[in-house]
Amino acid sequence: MTDIKTIWQTQTTEDNEMITLTEIRSRASGLKARVQWRNLALYAYSMANIAITAWLISTGHHKAYMRYEVPGLLLVAAHLFVIWQVWWRTSVRAMPGDLIGRAALDYLRHQLERQRNALSSAWLWYIAPFMPGLIWELWMRANLHPHGVAPDIDRALVLFLVLSAAFFWIAVGFAFAWGAARLDLRLERLNTLKAE
Amino acid sequence: MGTVSQDELYMRAAAEFGPALARLAKAYEADASQRLDLLQDIHLALWRSFSSFAGQCSLRTWVYRVAHNVGISRRVRRRVAKLISLEELADLESAESPEDAAHAAHALERLQGLIRKLKPPDDQVMLLYLEDMDAVAIGEITGLSSRAVATRIHRVKLLLSRHFRQGETS
Repeated sequence: MTDIKTIWQTQTTEDNEMITLTEIRSRASGLKARVQWRNLALYAYSMANIAITAWLISTGHHKAYMRYEVPGLLLVAAHLFVIWQVWWRTSVRAMPGDLIGRAALDYLRHQLERQRNALSSAWLWYIAPFMPGLIWELWMRANLHPHGVAPDIDRALVLFLVLSAAFFWIAVGFAFAWGAARLDLRLERLNTLKAE
Repeated sequence: MGTVSQDELYMRAAAEFGPALARLAKAYEADASQRLDLLQDIHLALWRSFSSFAGQCSLRTWVYRVAHNVGISRRVRRRVAKLISLEELADLESAESPEDAAHAAHALERLQGLIRKLKPPDDQVMLLYLEDMDAVAIGEITGLSSRAVATRIHRVKLLLSRHFRQGETS
């Protein structure tokens, strides 16, 4: 008798030879190297930012590129903080070692919760760090009153800048909140499954 | 756990469950290179997982959990198509007539197509059922209650009987 289970279990697979330990170790090294390169790129970007800003300010060249060094530095610091947060939140070390061996529903829930928590707290670690530098810069721009620009046009420009910044960051906040809500929905479905 | 134990456990698991892992990869990935990539990811995850394996469950349960979790992560990440539940799949009218199990190659293709349409954990229940696991083992691997597993196995059987004429050939 041939039934579907037998057909399934006796199917030929071209990939069923045992993968050797050497191949496994080589794949593990490749994965580790990719993570190291990614981290190295993040560090290089951060160091370049710090070095350029420090050089511009220490030599007085910053006046040609950024009018206000303090808000500029605050924005650089915010970038560095966000980069570090992204790296920390996506790194494998944040994951418990035995997670992969947990029952599928627990594993999936852990993954979804991790993503949901990152998204729902994004206002704190992704949006808030940029606010001091941005608000400071906008406030200084509002009080700049450059020569040769009519007051009405200047006010309209400032209003445009403020509204653009507000629109951009509110949109970012909504995108994160929408992502978190979708994950909440999936978590609810998982909880229902678990409670069945 | 030392490196030797980790290696030994992996070798044992790969020797015992290698073919089942290859079948799982084949069910999840239609493309040959993607399939091989998934299979290697599963083996790598398995080898790494043995550094934290301390007999929390049987070796078989551990191997299937790891393999299915790697599969889930990949499917969630790639999201190639909208996945549906067993109930929804059963509601879909099949355009094809029931497959005679004698046409093994075609039957397998059709079966893999069905599995690829299912979302977790329904796809896992179907795969584990095909591997001849009982409800308790399926519950341990998926984390579903025995009642939920029983309901799904019932649906799997109905679905399979609708798509395949079984036991008619020798």
